[in-house]
Amino acid sequence: MADVRVTRRQVLKVAAATGIATTSPWWLVNKSHAQRAKKLIFWQLPNFTPIADSLQKEQVYEFAKSAGLKDEEVEFSVVGNDVWIQKLSAAIEAGNPPDVMRLFESNVQFFGSQGHLVDMTDTVDRMRKEPQGIFEATLTAVRVNGRFMGVPLAVNPWPMHARLDLLEKAKVDYPKTWDEFIETSKKIQEPPRLFAFGICVGVTYDTTNNVTNLLWCYGGKTVEADNKTVVLNSPENAAGLKVLEAMFKTHKIIPPGSISWDDSGNNKAYQSRQAAFVMNPTSIYAYLDGNDKDLQKVTGLFPVPAGPKGSLTQIDTWSLALFKKSPYPELGKGLIEYMLRPDNYDRIVQSTGGRWVPVYKRLFDSPFWKEKPVFKYFIQMAEQGVPLSYAGSPTPAAGEVLNTHVIPKAVQRVLVDNWPAEKAREEAHKAVAEIYARHNKG
Amino acid sequence: MRTKSGTQRLLRWVGNGLLVVMLVWTLVPFYWMIATSLKKDKEIYGFEATLIPRHPTLDGYRLLFVKTPFVKYVRNSTIIAVATTVASLVLGCLGAYALARLRFPGRKTIARGLVFTYLVPPSLLFIPLFAVMSTLRLIDTYHGLVLAYLGFTVPFSTWLLMGYFRSVPVELEEAALVDGCSRLGTLVRIILPMALPALAVVAFFAFTQAWNEFLYAQVFVSSNEVRTVTAGISLFIVEDVFFWGPMMGAAVLSALPPVILYLIFQRWVVKGLTVGGVKG
Repeated sequence: MADVRVTRRQVLKVAAATGIATTSPWWLVNKSHAQRAKKLIFWQLPNFTPIADSLQKEQVYEFAKSAGLKDEEVEFSVVGNDVWIQKLSAAIEAGNPPDVMRLFESNVQFFGSQGHLVDMTDTVDRMRKEPQGIFEATLTAVRVNGRFMGVPLAVNPWPMHARLDLLEKAKVDYPKTWDEFIETSKKIQEPPRLFAFGICVGVTYDTTNNVTNLLWCYGGKTVEADNKTVVLNSPENAAGLKVLEAMFKTHKIIPPGSISWDDSGNNKAYQSRQAAFVMNPTSIYAYLDGNDKDLQKVTGLFPVPAGPKGSLTQIDTWSLALFKKSPYPELGKGLIEYMLRPDNYDRIVQSTGGRWVPVYKRLFDSPFWKEKPVFKYFIQMAEQGVPLSYAGSPTPAAGEVLNTHVIPKAVQRVLVDNWPAEKAREEAHKAVAEIYARHNKG
Repeated sequence: MRTKSGTQRLLRWVGNGLLVVMLVWTLVPFYWMIATSLKKDKEIYGFEATLIPRHPTLDGYRLLFVKTPFVKYVRNSTIIAVATTVASLVLGCLGAYALARLRFPGRKTIARGLVFTYLVPPSLLFIPLFAVMSTLRLIDTYHGLVLAYLGFTVPFSTWLLMGYFRSVPVELEEAALVDGCSRLGTLVRIILPMALPALAVVAFFAFTQAWNEFLYAQVFVSSNEVRTVTAGISLFIVEDVFFWGPMMGAAVLSALPPVILYLIFQRWVVKGLTVGGVKG
């Protein structure tokens, strides 16, 4: 075997190289924040209407100008919808997130509880003091440990989209209860070309949203308001699941293919006139505005029908958040307040054609909301709507329940594997209880 | 009993049948993409899936060119892919030659390290890379993205060329060196001309990888001035609605450059993938 001699200098060289290589991520991360180009950075998630994007961009530059910044000191970036969370996570890890960005409620909860967001309580309090105030239901989304870590930007309701022409043809009104809904559905559907109820029942996010909303009407819920007591195994949830099962198997008003839908499945079903009712955010309505005016004219947006325990409609709240790593927190805060100034804000809201429902109550006095019958129930939804995590808050645990598709899997157990609703409910309960216990412990 | 020629004929038929199946398997998605790009939304979302567009329209393409900065995306992708290809070829050749021919400590470790580096998935690397790029102010720049892409094109190029260079008889180089050629001269004048098929493979690989890459392009780029085609296509998804017409139009057009490149260099690419440095 060859005699290999290593000098002290070689050892030192290798040690230095290894040290630099292994520790570089840490010092690079620390340095990257300091190295950020001197810019006010706003990340924009695209809207349906290009005019809303343009207006938002305009407002960012307007504000920057009024704050004495030059155009080249502002960065307005459109971030794709599909990997924005990866991009944001990388930017946060690198210590270089945008100053301001629109976030969804689970993001505010997550990043807020991790300490990445600036406390915006004073801004929110000022908004609440505007004439008529803001919809208090939106505050659940931004409240983290009693403080507001984001500013409510828009209400995103999940109304029932309904084909008015089919209802008219069948000489029936929009059903008030789920029992009526089933009867109406049988009258208007013409399978296989047209099924009545395009509810998501695949292993996808919208299934949790759609099915949970149905369960609420039967008194079901996932967790109590204490965010600790999981109640998925309640008889109310089983009752709701059985109704869903009957809709699918007995009444056959749900398209069989919906068991493999992704989140766009219900959109496609409605947009292609293959479903008469779908529960979805108004992205469908916004799509029709630009692409199928005929269908838009015969589309109504309603609260979901009532069950034995009444009717609840889901709302999400989008927020603007300011990141703590922002080198210009005052500028970022100023920008948020500028965009949320009711006159500026109203311009954006109206430019979205109804996709954004305003958080300021008094904006509903505008003819924009009063003249179109389709928006009739929006104020009621914004006033009384509840988040998906109801009766709990949109905590990280609630986010994990959504992301791990516990409820869609239970639905599939019932509809695909033919499990009794009680057994599926028990399995789901165990999974959710484990998630909440882990989060509450940690 | 079946004759030998009969068996051969059967095997040929089976082989041809399999080829047809694979051809259909490969071409159907392309066809579907083209057909969808020519359909109106109503037909795309219709109850019946139509193989041939009933009322062909170029609306999707019109929207691409008139209302979106698609041309800019193509320009950006071209600049980035070409720069990545050139840099991969230069660095790959130099690295591979050094590893194949020179004797220095750690040579084997570096050679193995190349493979390991190539195997690390980008989904693990993008966060630390973001920190590095951020520090060096390379976010949202052409050269930043090119540097990031070199992270996976150079290891593969070096590894592939290394094997190829090793198959070139060392005597050829020694003869050149004896005649007064330098190391670099040997590489340029002796090795590279013999390695053209391998260089074609490397170039094609680097170009395709850089052209098709999505994650880094999305994460490291924020503005339309640098955004590539793949990242631009994703902007046709708004919330839970897919704008299939323009999206498929963009996909069809963005698939063309690699296909054209492959058709041009097909002869060398196939040769590079199948033969060694010299004819045996």
